[in-house]
Amino acid sequence: MIAVENLVCAFGDTVALDEISVTIEDGSFVVLTGPNGSGKTTLVRHFNGLLEPDSGSVTVDGHDVVAEPVAVRTSVGMVFQQPRDQFVASTVAADVAFGPENLGLDHDEIDRRVRRALDAVNLAEQRDARIDSLSGGEQARLAIAGALAMEPAYLVLDEPFASLDEPARRSVLDRLCDLHERETGVIVVTHDLRGVLAPADRLLGMADGEIVVDTPAQEASRALEDLDVYLPPASEW
Amino acid sequence: MLTYQPGTTAVHRLDPRSKLLFQGGFAVAVFAHDSLAVLAGLTTIALAPLWVASLSPLRLLRGFRFILLLLVIAPPIAAVSFGPSWFVVERALDSAVASYRVVVMLFVAGTYVYTTPVRETRAAIQRHVPGRAGQLLGVGVGLVFRLTPVLVADLGRIRDALDARGGESLSTVARVRRLALVGLRRAFDRASRLSLALRARCFAWNPTLPELSFSRLDVPVLVLSVGLALSAFL
Repeated sequence: MIAVENLVCAFGDTVALDEISVTIEDGSFVVLTGPNGSGKTTLVRHFNGLLEPDSGSVTVDGHDVVAEPVAVRTSVGMVFQQPRDQFVASTVAADVAFGPENLGLDHDEIDRRVRRALDAVNLAEQRDARIDSLSGGEQARLAIAGALAMEPAYLVLDEPFASLDEPARRSVLDRLCDLHERETGVIVVTHDLRGVLAPADRLLGMADGEIVVDTPAQEASRALEDLDVYLPPASEW
Repeated sequence: MLTYQPGTTAVHRLDPRSKLLFQGGFAVAVFAHDSLAVLAGLTTIALAPLWVASLSPLRLLRGFRFILLLLVIAPPIAAVSFGPSWFVVERALDSAVASYRVVVMLFVAGTYVYTTPVRETRAAIQRHVPGRAGQLLGVGVGLVFRLTPVLVADLGRIRDALDARGGESLSTVARVRRLALVGLRRAFDRASRLSLALRARCFAWNPTLPELSFSRLDVPVLVLSVGLALSAFL
């Protein structure tokens, strides 16, 4: 469980997160939405200790994000908005292996994790390909594989559909649904709600550094009325 | 820009330590000999791995075009003299030979970059340079190989963006200044985001590195490397 208590984060005079408290249960599929600048990315970057709280606390399965960053980052995989920012190698398998190598695992275990992660995102056949040669959708899936190779309990994706065309978007969504079925917690940060509400269990809405909506995803239409977020017609949920 | 290209050629399959040793031996030989006949022989030796790795020399040279430009303008600059006999041909020839040595060396270095994954280079370095120095060097090499192509591509995009909005009408100085400023800002931004990604993936100074092992294929390369280095004493 990810537990956030009275979390405050400020950049200079700007308060990005204002005493936020929220818990995210194991294996749940959570959509975090809100307008630009509402604090979504800042909040999820606390989930794996990339940002440290100014006050309050964040724990993941009982591990404090400040005191035990490696344990937390192993539990919470992070996929950034621009997949290219996340790549640290030139070929697919080498990039996926990067995280497990940093954990000091043996070669057999690293190989097993790379195979599993690439299978999970349907990129096994491109194992030896150069990352530059992949399409945008494939790069988005590779970024997910890089996080999955850490075998996290939760996967956080920051705007995973940005700049993806519809087939690529569908492909990434399908992979997320597969992961959710295998009981990986999925947290999707997005202001584009097409296709993510149906598989989601819970919807969190943020505005001005606060969580102002916390509801089952199926009740999104009522809950999001006052939030400046485009809600697609129910047929596109 | 020239970067690693996966492949199964004999050069790809060599242990990175053999390739590094070959570069060292070759560098010693190419800078130790003055004879044009020996340099011609060394050029043949430098071109052979390119051919085996299916890498076109033209493509390689294109990847090093900015360095080549410096090498080409070096001889005439070296020949210029402030005083009577304003242009000394001997100096130009000496400089041309020195430039040529660097070009031949680029063939060898380029083949290494093209055929060797960065993590294998890091493994080779960290295995043979002990302690923190090896870790710093290994990570440094990895980051240079990771960031340089991205930054070069960024500069190309910035130039295109400038040109798309009439940047070509700016003076060369103004254009270069704008390109440098935006490029520098973008470089810091890239470095910052890469640092975030490394932390998110539990960056470690001493990770599990790829296993390296010499094979029979490495034996002739190792012998040739030692031979080239020793040839400097002949």
